[in-house]
Amino acid sequence: MANPIVMFIDDSETALASTRMTVSSMPIEVKQYLEAQACLNDIQAGVVPELIITDLNMPVMNGLELLKALRELPATKRTPVLMLTTETKDELKQQGKALGLTGWIVKPFNPAQLKSAITRVLRLPA
Amino acid sequence: MIFDALHELLEHIKQVEKETISLSLEAQMKLSRFIEKQKIELDDEAVEALQYQDIISQQLSATVEAIEAIQKNLQIFAQTFKHDERFADESVTKLQIKLSDVLEEARAKKEAFGGHSKKSSIDEDKIEFF
Repeated sequence: MANPIVMFIDDSETALASTRMTVSSMPIEVKQYLEAQACLNDIQAGVVPELIITDLNMPVMNGLELLKALRELPATKRTPVLMLTTETKDELKQQGKALGLTGWIVKPFNPAQLKSAITRVLRLPA
Repeated sequence: MIFDALHELLEHIKQVEKETISLSLEAQMKLSRFIEKQKIELDDEAVEALQYQDIISQQLSATVEAIEAIQKNLQIFAQTFKHDERFADESVTKLQIKLSDVLEEARAKKEAFGGHSKKSSIDEDKIEFF
C-alpha cells in the first residue's frame, strides 16, 4: 500500500527544508510547493493528498485563500488542512475554522509536535 | 537637499536588509543541503533553530516595506514643500500621521511574523486542533 501523500506549501525554501527534515523518517510521501497555485495544479491533475500543511502569509495566494480553493475542489473538499504559520491572531484562526481548517501550528514548530500532529490526523501507527 | 540625504540613507538601510535576507537564505540552504546529503539526524532544538531564517527574513521584509512607505511619504512631502513652502506646516502634519501609520503597521507585522521565537518554552501551546 502506498504511503499517504502530505503536501507542504510555504514560500520559504528554508521552512520547507525544515519540515522535510522533520518528517523524513515518517511513512508518508512528501510533496512540497513554494506557491499555492502549484499545489492546486497538482490536485487538479489527479494527485490526491491525505493531508495539506500550509503557510499563511504567502504572496499571490495566502493560506486562507488556498484553503477556500481546496474546499471548492471535490478531491479536497474534506481533506485535513493544517496551518503552519508565525501568526497567532485569534481572528485569523476563526477565519480558518470557518473554512474548515483542521488545526493551527505556530512557527517555529517543535519537530516532535509536528510529527505527532501528522500521526494523529493521518491515524498512523504511533 | 535634506530629503535627498534621508532618501539615500533609507535606501542604504533597505539594501543592507535585502542583502542580509539573501545571505541568510543562502547560508541556511547550504547548511540544509549538507544536513540532508549527509543524512544527519537533528534534534528538536536544531530543527527549531533552522526555522529562524524564515522568521528573520519575514521580519526584515516587513521593515523593508516600512522603509519604502516612509520613502514614498517623504517624497510627497518634499514635492509639496518644493512647490509651495506655505503648505509645509500642513504637509508636516500629514507626514506625521502617515509615518505613525507606517510605524503601527510595521509593529503589527513584527508581532505577526514573530511566531513563538521569543517564547521561553518550546512546548507552549503551539498546536491547536479545531
